[in-house]
Amino acid sequence: MKGYLHVDLDKCTGCRTCEIVCSLVHTGENNPMRARIYVIRNKFGVEMRPVYCRQCARPPCAENCPTDAIHYDEERAMVLIDYDKCIGCKICVQSCPFGAMKVDPVTGQVIKCDLCGGDPQCVKYCIDHAITFIPIGKQEKVIRSAVSKL
Amino acid sequence: MRYAIPEYILRVDLSKQKIVKEPLPEKLARNFLGGRGINAKILYDELKPGIDPLSPENILVFGVGPATGTLAPASGRYNVSAKSPLTNFFGDANSGGHWAPELRYAGYGHIVFYGRANKPVYLWIDDDKVELRDASHLWGKDTWETEDMLIEELGDPEVKVACIGPAGENLVRFACVINEKSRAAGRTGMGAVMGSKNLKAIAVRGTKGVEVADVEALLNFREEANKLIANDLFYELYSRYGTAGLTTIYNEFGACTAFNSKEAYWENAEKLYGEVFEEKLTVHITACFSCPLHCSRVYKVKSGPYACIGESCEFENIVAYGTRCGNDNLESVAYASTLADKLGIDTISSGAVIAFAMECWEKGLITEKDTGGLDYSWGNTDVIIESLKLIAQRKGFGNLLAEGVKRMSERIKGSEKFAIHIKGMETPAVDPRAVQGYGGLGYAVASRGGDHLRALAALGYSLPKRAKELFGTDKAADRFSTIAKGAVVKFHEEMRAVTDAIEICKYITRTALLLPETIAKLINALTGWEIDKQEVLRIGERIVNLERAFNIREGLTRKDDTQPERMLKEPIPRGPSKGCVVQLEPMLKEYYTLRGWDLETGYPKKEKLVELGLDYVANDLEKLGKLAK
Repeated sequence: MKGYLHVDLDKCTGCRTCEIVCSLVHTGENNPMRARIYVIRNKFGVEMRPVYCRQCARPPCAENCPTDAIHYDEERAMVLIDYDKCIGCKICVQSCPFGAMKVDPVTGQVIKCDLCGGDPQCVKYCIDHAITFIPIGKQEKVIRSAVSKL
Repeated sequence: MRYAIPEYILRVDLSKQKIVKEPLPEKLARNFLGGRGINAKILYDELKPGIDPLSPENILVFGVGPATGTLAPASGRYNVSAKSPLTNFFGDANSGGHWAPELRYAGYGHIVFYGRANKPVYLWIDDDKVELRDASHLWGKDTWETEDMLIEELGDPEVKVACIGPAGENLVRFACVINEKSRAAGRTGMGAVMGSKNLKAIAVRGTKGVEVADVEALLNFREEANKLIANDLFYELYSRYGTAGLTTIYNEFGACTAFNSKEAYWENAEKLYGEVFEEKLTVHITACFSCPLHCSRVYKVKSGPYACIGESCEFENIVAYGTRCGNDNLESVAYASTLADKLGIDTISSGAVIAFAMECWEKGLITEKDTGGLDYSWGNTDVIIESLKLIAQRKGFGNLLAEGVKRMSERIKGSEKFAIHIKGMETPAVDPRAVQGYGGLGYAVASRGGDHLRALAALGYSLPKRAKELFGTDKAADRFSTIAKGAVVKFHEEMRAVTDAIEICKYITRTALLLPETIAKLINALTGWEIDKQEVLRIGERIVNLERAFNIREGLTRKDDTQPERMLKEPIPRGPSKGCVVQLEPMLKEYYTLRGWDLETGYPKKEKLVELGLDYVANDLEKLGKLAK
């Protein structure tokens, strides 16, 4: 299913379950360093902010990639990395305005959210629904709720 | 292939400034799991009985377990254990947050500290690199300043810090260890032991992963666990109000410690209820590592004399600085709570010593001459706050308060009758007279003294249907009845020991994940051991008996398994639990019998220890003449 991750910052408790689930399903180990989502926690600044790939339609990571290893796939509405083309220069890591591109410390490869192929597991395990998966075409509710907070 | 069990134990000799890294044997984990279990084993094996807890001879152990840092729910906990300067018995405290996973990700299960550094130091663990560093510049700083300075100095915002404040440095007997500014390994004075060793902090950064035996099974377990937790009786309360919500429940039970346990119900406590806290002070709901329950919240008093910010003003804090001291000013309670975290003082014990002083004041046993001019009238918020500062510095009257209720009562003539402690540790917020199993028996036999978390006997007052399945009678869940409370407390103690040993939180295992078959499933997913529920209970029983043997070696006998005189003799004067006292004897008899402990002495029997694989412990006790016939 085409869609994107949406985070309700008011609901995020900073428990980092998303980080562990992500690392577990992608690498088979419990290791936040290998997760494609991470939470910047600033509890006394009262902010818990999960960082993850926004699946930009005009992704700066792709625009700056010297080998065209990254592209936005319109059919899947997702930014994809072609590891055969990737030379590991990490320009994408620097280019992402959200800090969503990481380097896996074990493999040395750049990694980012792949939406678990359309069924994001972090969403499934987030008990408070702080992270939700919004199917494209059904964003209206989110937008309405955002507007109501303005 | 071994899974989930941490790779190493670190042994740190502070006197010789020597650090040794040794493998953690899998067999040790098979018998004691990790965390509190292995901590107890290390202390029993290595600590010389009879030593002064604040001398260099004491041994201080930090421990995490096989669940730490994994997708297991609420897997952010650690235990810190040593001989307690408060009780002179087994000392142990547990804390959450994100410190424990960081230690696990660096590859360590336990850190054992020996001796005493000749100047203040902190331990810096950066994955494989472990070193003792000078902490002279941190000495005297509070826990918040210490953490900020260390993170700045070490240059990585993901460094996690566990440290002591001025209270630990000044050997306050109930000083605690604070990690991430607001998570406390609160009880039994582990902060004082750290201070006595000139150890200011442990800063950790770990970047390795934890491999588990069965990834699929762990994912499934967590999915099921989330459902069990979300459907649990206590979920709404904990997830919405945090433990502050318990103030409402226990006051309405008539089980809320008030006025140094003269009362167990107070009309004004309504001003401190969870609903009020949520409306007035909560600014964000937060959680420890991997926790679906998120009982923590950041609170803020925006202006006025008590302006502050902090995290986790628990039910215990609300009672300690609130009802226990006859104080109904919620903002002052929040302020005191933040202050205690910064100073590194256990909230329960500190609230209890202040309340005890207030009753001494009321009865004319202490006067302004003793207190340095401070007025210890009930509900004097300023004196509560001032007391915390004096305790941490051991200044003036604070020097006496810093000794704890037991030692205070030995010096204030005529105060023994209302000195509310067990084995030297101040009892927690729930009045044991109103909850026979959970409080009456549970506190009396807890290995670390007046404490609710050793047993946390939830089925002793809730879920009668499940209690009947487990204990054969729904009376087991009747809080006023003594029926089956021995069995109830024993079962819960076993499960709490296992929970503390694998290092997941007691609040999700309180009722939701309480059963041994549930925990067996988790242990098996993590380790691949294929143990069953009997084995889970057996490991729990082994840990409880080892702690018992530790205490017996230190001189504990049946007479120490008791309640303060007030709880046994003074009926609760008013409220929904009016007329109750702790009916200890029948419960204790049932409990000892089920435990295989002698009814006269409280010593374990040889058969029991042998059955648990603790033959060598039986031999030790036999040599000391402390084994039951």
